[in-house]
Amino acid sequence: MKFLLVYAHPRTDSFCHALKEKVTATLAKSGHAVDVLDLYAEGFQPAMSAEERGRYHDEKSNLDGIERYAAQLTAAEGLIFVYPTWWYGLPAILKGWFDRVWAPGVVFEINGGVIKPLLTGVKSIHVVTTMGAPWWFAWMMGHPGRMFLRMGVKRMCGPGCRFVWRAHDRMDSSTPESRAAFLAKVERVFAKIT
Amino acid sequence: MKILLISAHPVETSFNAAIQKTAIAALTRAGHQVDHLDLYAENFNPVLSREERLGYHEIPANRGPVAPYVDRLMAAEGIVFVFPTWCYGLPAILKGWFDRVLLPGVSFNLGEDGIARPALTHIKRVIGISTYGRPWWVATFLVGNPPKKQIMRYFRLLTAGRAKMNWLAHYDMNRATDKTRGDFLAKIDRTLGGVR
Repeated sequence: MKFLLVYAHPRTDSFCHALKEKVTATLAKSGHAVDVLDLYAEGFQPAMSAEERGRYHDEKSNLDGIERYAAQLTAAEGLIFVYPTWWYGLPAILKGWFDRVWAPGVVFEINGGVIKPLLTGVKSIHVVTTMGAPWWFAWMMGHPGRMFLRMGVKRMCGPGCRFVWRAHDRMDSSTPESRAAFLAKVERVFAKIT
Repeated sequence: MKILLISAHPVETSFNAAIQKTAIAALTRAGHQVDHLDLYAENFNPVLSREERLGYHEIPANRGPVAPYVDRLMAAEGIVFVFPTWCYGLPAILKGWFDRVLLPGVSFNLGEDGIARPALTHIKRVIGISTYGRPWWVATFLVGNPPKKQIMRYFRLLTAGRAKMNWLAHYDMNRATDKTRGDFLAKIDRTLGGVR
């Protein structure tokens, strides 16, 4: 399968970086193609500009300047997101990738007010994240990051698209053992993909 | 009251800009001092950098890179957010304000017991105003209304439940009319004009 892995962490010595490396190595071992988009390394600009906002709904010009990101997205059969959960949601740089690249004509079409999903080739979404809070606290806060990916993003993908969520919570009190166990769990999840 | 109004729309002629004007006029009329933080106009950088991440837990040095923004938040007694909902959430520029400015030692304090305690208890009033392209039932029932939770639940937590909260939303902007927009501006004028 062809995967697009979108990664967002500013530190190359972070646990998220180790997770991203684990995912790519595991998938490569089974012969999958993984296109890694490292938003921090690219210096991705997340704030949609006034000029871009002006042509957002014009499908002929709304991809000017971001053609490459859109092409990566439409070529993918599986999406993977690896990021730290900040304030129960996506880091701004990753939220901005959605704001700018998940545009009309790429991800959906609006016909008479009805939204038609266009990423019908996407068969699975995998999320690998870390968070400081306990999992139940994230739910108390409404789990905005998970809800967005599970409900909003998945709606734009193919029917029957799988959604797999793996989170290491309570990162502030994590131990080498808990992190190793989580890495092993992530490896098992991705090794199973055929 | 000193009110920090944070807005996040790039286009000066947008409906969001009209909301900002209405909100500022209503608050001023009610005798409040408004500090308008227009994230786009001030060219706010929403990306938390490597250095900031490294020093994230160093209180008070972690304020360094965003000191003016922290000062404005600490001076406020009320806070108003005006933004468009994009992709079921806050625009990246506003999410970045959360990521970078709501630091440990600013919005919460970690006790020696490892428990986070709210530190924005000087804020007495929180108002979120947003516009959505999609109908309310899609935003609320299907996706759980993330932007509303990101404002209301986070700030209820950070103010220790002491702030009075309002959420004002215009859903279904893709099918909005002059009447729905006019009614919404009137509602903003009423609500913000009534802030005491």
